[in-house]
Amino acid sequence: MADAIRKLVRRLGPRKVSTDQALVALYAREPSGLQGRAWAVVFPESEDDVRVIARTAYETDTPIYPQGSATSLSGNAVPENGIVVSFERMNRILEVNIIDGNVVVEPGVRLDDLNTVLEREGYMFPVDPASSAVATVGGAINNGAGGLRGAKYGTMREWVLGVNIVLADSEGTLLRLGCRTVKCRQGYDLTRLIVGSEGTLGLVTRAILRIAPLPEDTVYALAFFPGLDSLMGAFTALRRSRINPFMLEFMDSKTVEYASRHLDLPYTPKGDMLLVGIEVNREAAQRVLKDLENLLADHGAERIITAHGVEEARRKHLFTVRKNLFAGQAGLTLDRAGPGRRIRVMIEDIVVPPSRVPEAVKRIRELESKYGLTVFLGGHIGDGNLHPAVGIVEGVDDPQVVEEWFKDVMRIAVQLGGTVSAEHGIGLLKKEGLRYDLESRGSLKALSLMAEIKRVFDPKGLLNPGKLV
Amino acid sequence: MSGPNTIDRLRTWISETAGRCIYCGFCESVCPTRPLGPHRGYGPRGRVAMARLVAEGVTPLSNTVVESVYTCLLCAACETKCPVGLPIADIIRAARRLYTLEAGFSAREEKGRVPAIARR
Amino acid sequence: MLDVRSILSILASNIKATGLPVPAPREALYSWSEGLSIPKDGDTLLYTGGLYQLLPYIEVYSSQLAKLEDKRSGGLLLRAAGRFSSLSRIAGAIVRPSKREVEESKRILQSIVRLLDAAGVRVAYRREVDGYSGVLLYDMGLDDDFKKHFAQVARSLAQTGARTIVTVDPHTTHVLRSVARRLGLLPELEVKTYLELLAENIDNINFKKGRAGTAAIHDSCLYARRENVIAQPRLLLERAGYQILEPRRSGRLTYCCGGPIESIAPKLSSRIALARIGELADTGAERIATMCPICLANLKRASRTAGGPPVVDLSLLLAERLEA
Ligand SMILES: Cc1cc2nc3c(=O)[nH]c(=O)nc-3n(C[C@H](O)[C@H](O)[C@H](O)COP(=O)(O)OP(=O)(O)OC[C@H]3O[C@@H](n4cnc5c(N)ncnc54)[C@H](O)[C@@H]3O)c2cc1C
Ligand code: SF4
Ligand code: SF4
Repeated sequence: MADAIRKLVRRLGPRKVSTDQALVALYAREPSGLQGRAWAVVFPESEDDVRVIARTAYETDTPIYPQGSATSLSGNAVPENGIVVSFERMNRILEVNIIDGNVVVEPGVRLDDLNTVLEREGYMFPVDPASSAVATVGGAINNGAGGLRGAKYGTMREWVLGVNIVLADSEGTLLRLGCRTVKCRQGYDLTRLIVGSEGTLGLVTRAILRIAPLPEDTVYALAFFPGLDSLMGAFTALRRSRINPFMLEFMDSKTVEYASRHLDLPYTPKGDMLLVGIEVNREAAQRVLKDLENLLADHGAERIITAHGVEEARRKHLFTVRKNLFAGQAGLTLDRAGPGRRIRVMIEDIVVPPSRVPEAVKRIRELESKYGLTVFLGGHIGDGNLHPAVGIVEGVDDPQVVEEWFKDVMRIAVQLGGTVSAEHGIGLLKKEGLRYDLESRGSLKALSLMAEIKRVFDPKGLLNPGKLV
Repeated sequence: MSGPNTIDRLRTWISETAGRCIYCGFCESVCPTRPLGPHRGYGPRGRVAMARLVAEGVTPLSNTVVESVYTCLLCAACETKCPVGLPIADIIRAARRLYTLEAGFSAREEKGRVPAIARR
Repeated sequence: MLDVRSILSILASNIKATGLPVPAPREALYSWSEGLSIPKDGDTLLYTGGLYQLLPYIEVYSSQLAKLEDKRSGGLLLRAAGRFSSLSRIAGAIVRPSKREVEESKRILQSIVRLLDAAGVRVAYRREVDGYSGVLLYDMGLDDDFKKHFAQVARSLAQTGARTIVTVDPHTTHVLRSVARRLGLLPELEVKTYLELLAENIDNINFKKGRAGTAAIHDSCLYARRENVIAQPRLLLERAGYQILEPRRSGRLTYCCGGPIESIAPKLSSRIALARIGELADTGAERIATMCPICLANLKRASRTAGGPPVVDLSLLLAERLEA
């Protein structure tokens, strides 16, 4: 350890390495409440720096924990004895190619910052996790992140054209994978393999991302339904009407009630909630909005709040309840904990075919009474991604009960034809779930294939060890 | 005005208030010092976490901590983004106060003979 | 990053000895009012808090400190400065501020009085009561020193018999109105900024007709996020005939000028100011309007460096448009 750090300081200079414990502690935590340990944080400023780090780690058998903004929720970014490599200083947008429809960026660029630049050109990078204000390109790629626009735009894997990666080998080998074009047959699709690899295969030092034009206009509706059946009716009708909403968010009535406890809203938040966003041509905005309102009303929505454009939607607080999912659960748990006690929030990230969402919700609610837990339940119904969340007060709640619950939820997902993680990744918390998923498909062999792949990329097992596989 | 009780109370307040931070980092997105500073300690999430570590006696009031809390602008931009509504600027100011008290620092000692930073 | 301990020590001992954060002659505080006929007594008392007047001195001071940041020995030198600050002060080491800046700060305060007068707000002013609020002590975590200092401020304000205190900058406003209230140090007085008073009485103000050009507005963090002074400067500029251009981050979401850490981390401070000037210049405005002396100084310097538009205090923009 001392050897590795001495070498890093000598090769990179003291400004790029810190062993200060107060500082290192800031890089050993995640919002999930998981806490790790590290010896040092290293701050590369260039691809060459990253190669030096990889080479040195290989030489000294030092585990490397890559990190963007550490907003992961499944333990993906938490270190355990080794060095954290923070990409925050590699945060340049290198190229914006409007004609080719792509950008070239360093991994530390925050998603919202990228969008601020693209907006000026009338473009956007459409993957928008709720954490996009701080989530980095490198973190989003490695977590295979998705977001609110997922219903139409999918997740990172649809938007990464190429990556540069540095391998943890004796050379710190640099590979330039992928193309600047959407069409690209380069043998096995290694770019796709890196997406969602959670820093276990290579250190991403650069990315070529696709971009999309900003919609001309948008309309939104927030609707509260008397029950899940009527909400599902509206959802099905939306699908059949060939409207392709880019945003289709859902929260069940109980969660609406919890999450809006302390919110001051201009409407009554009551019932099962559906939030719809549609991209439209300017001329069509009013008509689509009217059609949408009618459709929701026809299916029994009791309260409908509409908005034309994102500004109005914000002003009318259409997103507020949905955005409060995580903070609402944290707040509830903190209140329960009282001062001085630590808490953790466990956020599930299952996905089921959208048509199975009502059944999933029903079964998750049944679990609530089985385990005596307060569960927040919302998600991206457009792509069937649900985020049931529970809080744990340390020293009060039995973590084992929560773990059992966590597993039961994953079981429900797999039984309904879905899987255990949609966008947050496997990290530490979902490893068992991944095994269960593959096992129940009779494909456990895939797990050993993954382990083999990991060994080929990272022979000494130094990259984010303990995660994913 | 500031006996050991003050310090204890200050520590408790920081620990309890900063303890509500869920480490989401949303606050970092608007902090002017974060992207221009060298590391996470130059942002609200880091400052709040350090304040807590110091208040709870986990880390000493090292130069890194002092640097972190004294480079804050107290501009409160971060507070507009915090989903749990933390009084971030107040927490940082409280950490400064803890430093001035712990270091036995005050105008009374203007002669410059100030004791070394209390290392816990 | 400079040695915090020394900075605090210099600050605290300066304030303890002279009531001011930097060595400056006392007349610097009130010389702007010479020759003006402002009554000494009244319900509504102007308390400048001294920031506009002291800024030219702080500027020189900080630029000297900034030089230390580059030097290896910066910490040591500073420590020495901290130790001998009281000495050097007695030896008359008061820094010589730029004359232009001193004149500008006078014009700002005179404009504020003219504007209040035009709005029909009668204010009183007493040079012996005017002074420094101690805000830096508070910000730096020197709460005990702050409380001691402010108790005196509060006492002398109370003795004037005024019921409303009029402030001219966001930092003094925040200390008098929010901090002091929270600490129970200024229980009975009402505190208002001149911007609020002008806005309340806007119909009395006789602005010139016609257009006055474009101005990008730079909200002060404290005004926008703590004191809810957002609408007033806009209303005033608009009525004065300016076309207001909003930077990317404005109102409650405004972006700091970097000024508050100028004496602690000068380089970081100026990088922040440059970033902000970029946003303000992007509006394409002819001029940038500030409403805080710290923002004014910091952004002015940055705009010079970056070749941006002139940065002007709001009071000057408004006074320029008063009918003679
Ligand atoms: C309140 C909240 C809401 C969230 N909402 C969503 C959501 O809606 N959708 C969603 O998908 N996620 C969500 N997340 C999870 C998380 O924010 C995202 O996955 C995000 O993309 C992670 O980005 P990051 O920069 O924080 O990465 P980190 O957490 O720092 O890292 C993520 C993973 O990538 C690896 N890594 C990072 N950079 C590199 C690199 N350069 N090279 C190699 N490996 C690297 C890390 O080792 C880790 O395994 C949310 C999180 C929070 C706290
Ligand atoms: S108050 Fe401090 S931590 Fe918060 S945004 Fe401003 S500089 Fe950053
Ligand atoms: S936004 Fe609030 S809860 Fe999130 S990291 Fe910052 S201080 Fe903590």
